[in-house]
Amino acid sequence: MIDALMANILWLVFIIIGGVLISWSVHFVPVGGAPAAMAQATGIGTGTVQLAAGAGLTGLVSAGFMMNVTDNLPLILASGAVGAMIMISVTMIVGTWVYVYGVGCVPSSAKVKYDPITKYRQDLYVSQGTEGHGLPTVSFVSGVIGGLLGGIGGALVYYSLIEVGLTAGLSTGTSSGVTGHELVGIAAMFAIGIFFVNAVIPSYNIGGTIEGFHDPKWKKWPKAVISSFVATILCAIVAVIAISQLGGI
Amino acid sequence: MSAGGAGGEAKGGFPPQTIMAIGAIGGLAGIYLGNFMPAQFSFFGGLGAICAMVWGADAVRRVASYGLGTGVPSIGMISLGMGIVAALFGLSVGGIAGPIVSFIAAAIIGAVIGVLANKVIGMGIPIMEQAMVEIAGAGTLVIIGLSVVIAGTFDYAEVVEYVVANGYIALIFIIGGMGILHPFNANLGPDEKQDRTLSVAVEKAAIALIITGFASSLHEGLMAAGLNIAVGVIIWAWAFMKYYGYVKRDSYAVVGTGLLPSAEELE
Repeated sequence: MIDALMANILWLVFIIIGGVLISWSVHFVPVGGAPAAMAQATGIGTGTVQLAAGAGLTGLVSAGFMMNVTDNLPLILASGAVGAMIMISVTMIVGTWVYVYGVGCVPSSAKVKYDPITKYRQDLYVSQGTEGHGLPTVSFVSGVIGGLLGGIGGALVYYSLIEVGLTAGLSTGTSSGVTGHELVGIAAMFAIGIFFVNAVIPSYNIGGTIEGFHDPKWKKWPKAVISSFVATILCAIVAVIAISQLGGI
Repeated sequence: MSAGGAGGEAKGGFPPQTIMAIGAIGGLAGIYLGNFMPAQFSFFGGLGAICAMVWGADAVRRVASYGLGTGVPSIGMISLGMGIVAALFGLSVGGIAGPIVSFIAAAIIGAVIGVLANKVIGMGIPIMEQAMVEIAGAGTLVIIGLSVVIAGTFDYAEVVEYVVANGYIALIFIIGGMGILHPFNANLGPDEKQDRTLSVAVEKAAIALIITGFASSLHEGLMAAGLNIAVGVIIWAWAFMKYYGYVKRDSYAVVGTGLLPSAEELE
């Protein structure tokens, strides 16, 4: 057990970095929850976990696709990041269409007077009794940054887990059977498990809604990152041991 | 956003210790029976998963009553996130003691995350540490129990081959999560009652047994799959009628909340 951990110390570090990146990325994603679904708060109208998990899993899938053709780590991370960014951008742009043309509200933030990126006035457009609505430019850009970090984190975790399996003597080779890809299956499930743990911890830190990096709650991210760091160490150790055990079967 | 719960301790019904005993002992007993009995009796793993889901749903009920600030589903997701990591770890190193090793690993991970949530993030929920241990343990037993239904055993190599490698684990992940997070999410409110919430947990768990029963036909054959599905359907019908009865019992009651508070009372 200790041998397996020592042999994979580099991948262990990468998994922990990935977990921390995922945790940090959640703070960038504009989450509005149920109030946003009723256009009473800024952000996407669903919970942090669903969004972070969606972005991370898309990143994982696109990273896995890139692993088909190359084992170059920067390329795999870039592929994961782009996949997650596309996912979160599409979610946000379609959400904005719904808010603008369906609900009929102007995307505006109640947390700042001027949008930090476009410098447009915000407070005039916030409907009375709401905390802003839609996805103003700053939230959109923040969400894309969140996708970038989450995608890199998810891809890093998945890649490291695959490498742990390869160190243990497993292969990712293709097989036509229904039950072929032990390593891919188990690495993906561990990546998803670590992803969910690291998506939920920051969502408790945020406590419901966040607009993006201009939101005052954004400054709380070190707490969540420290928590995720500790939690991911535990998860990474058990994941590396479990995957190394596969080599012995 | 204050999704989930009335902001206080959950009241009424069976004490937590009783549910804990049902979940932990029932869950482990079901898993071991499903492992050692012939393949046709793999539904015992499902019965274990039902006990564990009831336990998980009750733990979610108790912790989410305080108001998580982020919605109830998140705690179900972290339950299965911790559960899947702990379950696969325990089965890989534990051999015959696999489920118990998984359970202990889950308790450790859950305790650490509970302490972090309260001490570092500062959620301030008095039972957070205990509830996280319970939720992680329940999630782990649900995953192993449903894996036993599909694979007929909790042997690591067979679980990896028949449950993980072909992707059924993702199915277990979601339906297990539903069984733990959905009951309280569906029933929360001022008149939430434990028996009504837990009857939904049994009902969701029975659906999980039916679905994993279908999946088990690939490895265990039609006889075992048919038995799994039949047991699941019987439990589902019973639990659903129970739930229907509880809904009828609770639906007519109008709870007086008093008049609106005056300005002095609000200060």
